Amino acid sequence: MDPITFSIIRHRLFRVVEEAVITLKHVSGSAITNEGHDLMVSLYRADGSLLMGGVGFLHHLTSASEACKAIIRRFEGDIEEGDIFLLNDPYTAALHTSDIYLVSPIHHEGRLIAWSACFVHVFDIGAMNPGGFAPDAQDIFTEGFSSPGIKVVSRGRLRQDVWDTILNMVRGPEMVALDLRSMIACNNVARERMLALVQKYGVETVDEACRLLIEQSERRLRERLTELPDGRWQSRQYLEAKGETYRVVLTMTKEADRLIFDFTGSSPQSPYSVNCTKWASLGGLFAPLFPLLCYDIVWNEGVIKPITMIAPEGSIVNCTRPAPVSVATVGAIQSVNNAACATIGKLLAASERYAEEATSVWHANHFAIFMFGRNQRGGLSIGILTETFAGAGGARTFADGVDVGGEIPNPISRMANVETIEATFPIRYLFRRRLVDSGGPGLYRGGTGMELAIVPHDAPDGGLHYVISGKGAKFPQSDGLGGGLPGAPNDYVWVHTPAEGADAGRFALALDAMPGEKQPVAWGVYPLMGKDGLYVRWNGGGGIGDPLAREPAAVAKDVVTGAVSTEAAAAVYGVELAGTAVDVAGTERRRTAARRWRLGREAAE
Amino acid sequence: MSRRRISQTLTAGDGHVRCGGCDHALAPVNGPWKQAAALSERTVASLPGAGLGTDPTVMLRQFCCPACGALLDTETALPGDPFLDDVVVVRDGTP
Repeated sequence: MDPITFSIIRHRLFRVVEEAVITLKHVSGSAITNEGHDLMVSLYRADGSLLMGGVGFLHHLTSASEACKAIIRRFEGDIEEGDIFLLNDPYTAALHTSDIYLVSPIHHEGRLIAWSACFVHVFDIGAMNPGGFAPDAQDIFTEGFSSPGIKVVSRGRLRQDVWDTILNMVRGPEMVALDLRSMIACNNVARERMLALVQKYGVETVDEACRLLIEQSERRLRERLTELPDGRWQSRQYLEAKGETYRVVLTMTKEADRLIFDFTGSSPQSPYSVNCTKWASLGGLFAPLFPLLCYDIVWNEGVIKPITMIAPEGSIVNCTRPAPVSVATVGAIQSVNNAACATIGKLLAASERYAEEATSVWHANHFAIFMFGRNQRGGLSIGILTETFAGAGGARTFADGVDVGGEIPNPISRMANVETIEATFPIRYLFRRRLVDSGGPGLYRGGTGMELAIVPHDAPDGGLHYVISGKGAKFPQSDGLGGGLPGAPNDYVWVHTPAEGADAGRFALALDAMPGEKQPVAWGVYPLMGKDGLYVRWNGGGGIGDPLAREPAAVAKDVVTGAVSTEAAAAVYGVELAGTAVDVAGTERRRTAARRWRLGREAAE
Repeated sequence: MSRRRISQTLTAGDGHVRCGGCDHALAPVNGPWKQAAALSERTVASLPGAGLGTDPTVMLRQFCCPACGALLDTETALPGDPFLDDVVVVRDGTP
């Protein structure tokens, strides 16, 4: 194939996905989709293999591929032009029940030539807790409806009986209907644009370009892996749920042009919903692999071929049915993300050529806080605090991480404006800002996370409630690299004030200024009623390199800008300040003493 | 005296893993090196930035060069958990 035609078709495939994403966002009425970008759209070959991975949450790229393959197996002989299938069973392919896949076959002149697939986190899935995350669930049966594959549109016509049945099982059916319609519109646009491409260049030419594209990706990744050093790198992530501690342990081995991700040693599956299935773990390791190793390689089946995953059955990263998994995306999956990011970062940092591509772990802890209750207009509101997507960048080998820079698994993640949330829920923000001392210290500092506080406001029922699935408070998980320290852990604090007590700080500007009992919370359903407040702070990215080697002037600047406290400047970075200026002699003394402490020659650092 | 980068803070050369700062030889290549480092530990809860809910037992392990005190690697660990073992394969002892 001539390279110009190949290049044009490749770019057109990018644009097909991009336009489908825009459609999804524009049709959706949900903040988690169009503000938080908790979505994904990708194209797949006729056999379900990944053709063109799109943006959004990248751990869905491989899972949606498996969803296409599952539909092909289940509906063999019954896949027709204009059909659309729904799949959300985690033991078949999905990550958790509330992330629904809609997959659509794309036919040309009666022949199946490709698939488009997309997902959004729907408004509700009928789980025991509103919003889909069900920290109280004991099995998959209490996590809402789950389908291993059902046809919702047949030959272009909506199957009303199926549609009504689905909407009869969820809270806020009108919002779930809008979610599903946004995905139908998305897949329709993907199909139309794909067919326009075929019409222009011919089906055989497009098919050949797709085949070559996958070959190219495989070849380029194998070449890159060959350039990187062989070795073995480990990572260990601790996560807690309801007082229990679990480990995700990863040994990544790189041999020649292959990578093996071995999760042997990880904890047995949990009775709580932090588990994930094998498809979720596979997606979880690819989420950082795509952007870190394939930043200039098309994300498709060719990238998957050199990778092997070992995930022991019955473990927290490959649980068996009917174990609950609804919190997986902020539980075991994200720990797999973090562990893979850490080991890939170590691999890159070991290479002269690729060291600048290395990063420490970014935003390691999502917090799923789904608020629910009657809003200021009398209707039902259910939705997530989209700040969970406002992660922090990990440090790099040549620069600090980006403050509130997002997250590795979702290159387009972002949070909603305060005003959007206040318009959706009967609440008011007291503050939302960068969190001091949250970025992992290092020669290069991790980006900062944030903190916020909310109180009820104009609530017809006096407030609302929230479902919280909040790991990351007990253990830091944004690991540092090469001597860098981890980003600070999260905190979730219910500021509880009795009705007769002082108001929980109507205009407080800090947690300390909020009167009332401060009770850490992490898992379950809690009130935000009356004079209650909710304070949340979340992790920064990991640092890289020795904090004692950081340029003192950079530390002083961090103190001035509020990223680092004076206490941390002295205790962690060994920098003495005189006002906002560096005390050079004092800094030298402090750093010398700190190095001696490390060697056991000084009483205290 | 050729040295090959094997991490942000370590090199390999003359058959040894070395401190990237002072070139101190820590351990033979192709094997664990952390046992040869100076280990200093502190609780994560004692670090600036720790939260209200930070586990009081989780430690920050700091693996330092025993010659110059440079911080070579860190890991968080609960008591009793083994060191993370990272090995970069170096053939013929040098790059």
